[in-house]
Amino acid sequence: MIYCSEAMAKLDSNTFDAWLEGQQPFDAKAPKLDLTGYGFVTPAALVQLAALVYSLAGTKRRPSVELDEEGVLTYLSRAGFCSAISPVGDTRPALKVDFYGGYRGSNPMLLEVTRIESCGALPELLDKILWVLSHRLRYPKFDAYDIATVISEIAQNTFDHNGKTHGFIAMQVYRSSKTFLEIGIADYGEGLTETLRRNPKHRSIASDSEAIKVAIELGTSEHDDPTRGTGLYHLVETTYKHEGLVQIRSGRAKVRYRMDKKQGWFFAVPPMRGVQIALNLPSKN
Amino acid sequence: MEKRLALRGHGAHLWTRELAKRIRVKVQEGLEELGAGDVLVLDLDGVEVFDYSFANELFGKTLLSLSSEFPGRFVVVENLTDYTRENLSKALESLGLAIIVRRKSKLELLGKVHPSDVKTFGALASAKGPLSAADLSKKLDVNLTAMNERLTKLGGMGLARREKAASAAGREQYTYRVLG
Repeated sequence: MIYCSEAMAKLDSNTFDAWLEGQQPFDAKAPKLDLTGYGFVTPAALVQLAALVYSLAGTKRRPSVELDEEGVLTYLSRAGFCSAISPVGDTRPALKVDFYGGYRGSNPMLLEVTRIESCGALPELLDKILWVLSHRLRYPKFDAYDIATVISEIAQNTFDHNGKTHGFIAMQVYRSSKTFLEIGIADYGEGLTETLRRNPKHRSIASDSEAIKVAIELGTSEHDDPTRGTGLYHLVETTYKHEGLVQIRSGRAKVRYRMDKKQGWFFAVPPMRGVQIALNLPSKN
Repeated sequence: MEKRLALRGHGAHLWTRELAKRIRVKVQEGLEELGAGDVLVLDLDGVEVFDYSFANELFGKTLLSLSSEFPGRFVVVENLTDYTRENLSKALESLGLAIIVRRKSKLELLGKVHPSDVKTFGALASAKGPLSAADLSKKLDVNLTAMNERLTKLGGMGLARREKAASAAGREQYTYRVLG
């Protein structure tokens, strides 16, 4: 059972930026990320948090995630977060025994925080997502393929455009009044602006919000190659087709598409390295 | 000559550009073994889905280099499902490309194609032998300049093959054919 306390705050793709604003961890010698008061962290926020921990880590600099609830620590452990950040960061209190490590992969409704460093691991992850979409969210086969296709594209972006960093993916199915799925994919690479500026065509991009706007157009890529630049375009189109919600965050900007209208809402956000995607999809029931 | 490359050995779900790169090496090797007029069939029997990166890398890059690196060779796709057909069509449309699809020995074009290109390709595909621009111009009731433009376009996309021939009067002329 995943820990969730109604009385405690929820960290998700929407609330993450207000939380980050209050942290100011970037100049600290020992960065502390304060999750006290939080009882629930969604998959998209988990991978954002993991990417943040990695972006803060460095030589003799080991970030810590501060918690006040044993239950939250158990939840983060079960969600694969503790093991994902363990090479570069810690939780406080520390996890004494990773009891839930042995449960990894055992719940089809949950994809624990997983590092994505190369294509090798993707087919298994995508097959798991396909199974959940088909069997738990009642997506017809072709609709499930649509979603897996865009997840594949976004997951490939995390290592295709980032030489020295990598990405994370996590997923969970929620059953409340409406069953829905949330998938988070995040990396801590250079972000859309710097990546796109490597292509002379996009050297004039002046801001992160402009970079996001350009990146969701078909054919926009770091590479001057007509076979590139399909991922974010199809992510938005496919989310719209399946009436979901998608957020694309990079640097100091994010855009949220709530697909009852084909319109994106842009927000200025505290700076953070990389690109972070949150995708919510309703059940077809 | 016709050579087949079955993709089902790589699985029913073909994900990632990296996988496509590995398969494209085999496609290149296959094309190198073929001569002008020969056909490489990409058999998608058993393949249920591929992502856009895969489609762009395998089909897109192969088609983009076909007329320059392997002039006169044809790449044909067979056994597409409704889903893979739709995805391949979208991928090729975004690249401004088209590919020949064979269904029950019938040839058709998939991707970014103008209706006039479909008509010209159909006339070539149904002809018993090669046709000149003048033959096609009469057959489709299109002026010769426009027909030459259409044929040049189809040739450049690797969808038709141009070869030198002699007219009935003995003059040198170009004729066009699809496969073979």
